[in-house]
Amino acid sequence: MEHQDTMKDVAWAKINADVLRSLEKPRRIFWIVLAVCALLVLSGVVAEIYQYREGMGVALMNRPHYWQLYISNFVFWIGMSHSGTLLSAILLLTKADWRKPIYRFAEAMTLFSILTAAIYPIIHLGRVWNLYWILPYPDARTIWPNFRSPLLWDAAAITAYATSSALFLYIGMIPDLAICRDNAKGWRKKLYTALSMGWMGRAREWMAFRKTYILMACFLVPLAVSVHSIVASDFAMSIMPDWHITSFPLYFVAGALYSGCAAIITLFVMLRHIFKFEAYMTTEILDKTAKLTFAIAMAWNYLNLSEYASIWYSNDMYEKEVLLAKFFGPYAVIVWTMLLCATVAPFAMVFKKVRHSMWSMFILSLVLQLGMWLERFQIVSPPLASNHEPWTWAVVWPGAVQLIITLASFGWFTMLFLIFCKIFPSVSMYEVKEMVFHRRKASSRARLEDLSAIKEEVARAEEGLQ
Amino acid sequence: MRRRKKHLLFGIFEDFDSARDVVSSLKVLDLKEMVVDNIELYSPIEHPEVEEILGDFHQPIQRFTLFGALSGAIGAFLLAAAAAQAMFTVQPQGGKPVIPLPPNIVIAYEGAILIGVLATIAAFFIYAGLPRRLHKHYDNKVSIDQIGIEVQVLPENMHLVRAVFDSHQATEIREVVQ
Amino acid sequence: MALKRMLENWSRLRQRDYYKDAPYLWGLTIDLNKCIGCGACVAACYAENNVPVVGKEHCGRGHSMHWMRIERYWDEPDGKADIGQQDASDFPERGAHYIPMMCQQCNHAPCEPVCPVAATYHSPDGLNTQVYNRCIGSRYCGNNCPYKVRYFNFFNFWKDLPHPLEMQLNPDLTVRDKGIMEKCTFCVQRIRDAKDQANDEGHPEHVEDGSMQTACQQSCPTDAIVFGNLRDPKSQVSRLWEQHHVVLNRHEQDKSDDIRGYRVLEELNVEPCVMYLDRVRDVEV
Repeated sequence: MEHQDTMKDVAWAKINADVLRSLEKPRRIFWIVLAVCALLVLSGVVAEIYQYREGMGVALMNRPHYWQLYISNFVFWIGMSHSGTLLSAILLLTKADWRKPIYRFAEAMTLFSILTAAIYPIIHLGRVWNLYWILPYPDARTIWPNFRSPLLWDAAAITAYATSSALFLYIGMIPDLAICRDNAKGWRKKLYTALSMGWMGRAREWMAFRKTYILMACFLVPLAVSVHSIVASDFAMSIMPDWHITSFPLYFVAGALYSGCAAIITLFVMLRHIFKFEAYMTTEILDKTAKLTFAIAMAWNYLNLSEYASIWYSNDMYEKEVLLAKFFGPYAVIVWTMLLCATVAPFAMVFKKVRHSMWSMFILSLVLQLGMWLERFQIVSPPLASNHEPWTWAVVWPGAVQLIITLASFGWFTMLFLIFCKIFPSVSMYEVKEMVFHRRKASSRARLEDLSAIKEEVARAEEGLQ
Repeated sequence: MRRRKKHLLFGIFEDFDSARDVVSSLKVLDLKEMVVDNIELYSPIEHPEVEEILGDFHQPIQRFTLFGALSGAIGAFLLAAAAAQAMFTVQPQGGKPVIPLPPNIVIAYEGAILIGVLATIAAFFIYAGLPRRLHKHYDNKVSIDQIGIEVQVLPENMHLVRAVFDSHQATEIREVVQ
Repeated sequence: MALKRMLENWSRLRQRDYYKDAPYLWGLTIDLNKCIGCGACVAACYAENNVPVVGKEHCGRGHSMHWMRIERYWDEPDGKADIGQQDASDFPERGAHYIPMMCQQCNHAPCEPVCPVAATYHSPDGLNTQVYNRCIGSRYCGNNCPYKVRYFNFFNFWKDLPHPLEMQLNPDLTVRDKGIMEKCTFCVQRIRDAKDQANDEGHPEHVEDGSMQTACQQSCPTDAIVFGNLRDPKSQVSRLWEQHHVVLNRHEQDKSDDIRGYRVLEELNVEPCVMYLDRVRDVEV
């Protein structure tokens, strides 16, 4: 792999300069995208106010479709949030150093997608104004939340996940914030000074930092797994046919990593282009991320197909009905498109040419995400449409309010992400330096070994001559 | 009582290898004449070897983590259990388990992670000595690619340390009085 | 009082028949042989329980609120599931199968454990109660109900009542706001009333069988619906359950040919308190 060492010659000052430049005056396209996103968010707020005043009915949910897009979006965004943890924590623990240039934005993605996801259970509630009733606080009526409900586990898991991933992002960013502080002026100087907490790069700071970072990674991996298993429990703990499936937690986690990886590729290509990070976000890294995505896609496919198989062979009347309805019923378009996008499309990544081209990976990652979004929809809706009680069978498509709020959530996520990229360094400077340092050291060591090998050879040749 | 003034010598070096040499010569100097009080190393990236040359830092962060995780798990479990108790005083629950283990374990699991993470962060701030004000002599170069070494030394021994710094091609040497 | 209830809860932990000492367990029997699908029970339920009439448009969108509904199932020729076909039934003149469907007051109700705020719980009377004030509208219970008999207030329906009609609302129970779940209560306000009356008459633990009727039972022209206390061995409903070999706490009931009694979706083991008596039809004509 001679490509790997292209990074060993990057000057450290250039790393600082390159990344810090990405924080400076944004291009016009930045403002345009930001404005579009803000508009989307605004329209979502208007839709939510309308729904708040009129009632949930304006979203065109009904009986039996008590849950619809809000829940599938919730699952989608939670799934997206697994990317950062995967890239950052798992690859940190497995010492895969190619994560270093790209983990920062993946972690930011984690935080913002969980902030997006957390909105959904709230706007989904019939009586939003009583949201605080799910918090365990003592009140005069001595009524407490019901910890047996998977929704409460959700609340606990999301709280833990949002807090931990925000802190993980923040702690990992402190050395970079110090760099920003050293180079900033005005309000940014004040902000970075406050946030970097007087980090000076002292040895004891670094030692404590490394230890903390690894410990937190050890927490984040099981946490991420538990979060999506718990989201899966919302479905698996019910008695609905095709929701009550034992493999759901695993299936959800695999799907989460899958869509998360796809999202990372999308943002990877975008950031590389917008901020000119070609020197750091190299094709090799893209190649590795694509391979990882492919592996996870195959795991997800296996779980998906085994779910179909186990339903088919169980011959359970209700579940089979739902399965058949999925493939040949009113939602068949969704299911087949999902299979096309998420099962067939990833095989394109078998080809090196596809993995190495920014454009093809960008489009492919969008296709995969579309597939995973549809997957969430087909988890929620078709089982409700053909439930235990045939008399209530009904096909319902999400109404305008739900669609607007869905679009708004994409705007909200992008808006937060763009603002983040302009305020905080989206490439980890110190970790890239570490990467350069270690690679340089490794290559000089290799050169030394080469030298000694040559010496030995020469010596042997001399011996032979004698 | 007036605090005794600290005299520091701060030097900046090109790379980590020369900084390491400086530290080892300072150690030798210290063995001979007991002049060096406190060596502090400023670096733009982490160097795990630092612990070998500067000595053990003793940062038992993992103990905080363990304690946090355990207390979080127990606390969350107790919260869920106690909430169920309080609930049972007002609402009959029809023979269902008073402390349902599977859900409570889920809650305890999340509690363990949440409190564990918070405890780890607290330990980080304690042992990293953060937050603090920037030292006056802190140099921006340290956050780019240079290594800074700060030595606390008595004014009369200052020249010895300075000699060591000079012999290793320090790009900049500053005397600081705090 | 609170402590007593807590100790009681602990002492009866995991008992299958938790409320076996409670004086009441309300149950229902619906004889499908007698049901003619007239819908009088539905109308009575609307009137008694302040159930909002949502109108044609909302009904078409699936926002209807009928706590009690008459489900119609038509014969399928050769067992094919072409319900929409014109020739769906060889004998359309013989009409549909009717099943009046309302909350089955399951003893192992799937809706109860999933509520995040414990707005739905099991009363010692064997009723699956819904606390309107506590509900935050997560709608999880509605999804988890296999009978789909929980109804969500998608709008503020009471606001649509034209002027004099608000006078006909039943003062014995509330009018529900938007954003909460509601469902059949076995006319809990009438049960309360009957209990109070029994108290006044000096037999507090015993409501005389037949002294109280649910609205649907009262209005059924063919007496297809029988309501009563399953704990009282002499009540009509108990005798019917016994006669048709349907036993509580058993999910594999007697399925002999001459037995008509069954509970809907019994195999899910949700222990409903409503027994249906199968319709006997002359299919060989």
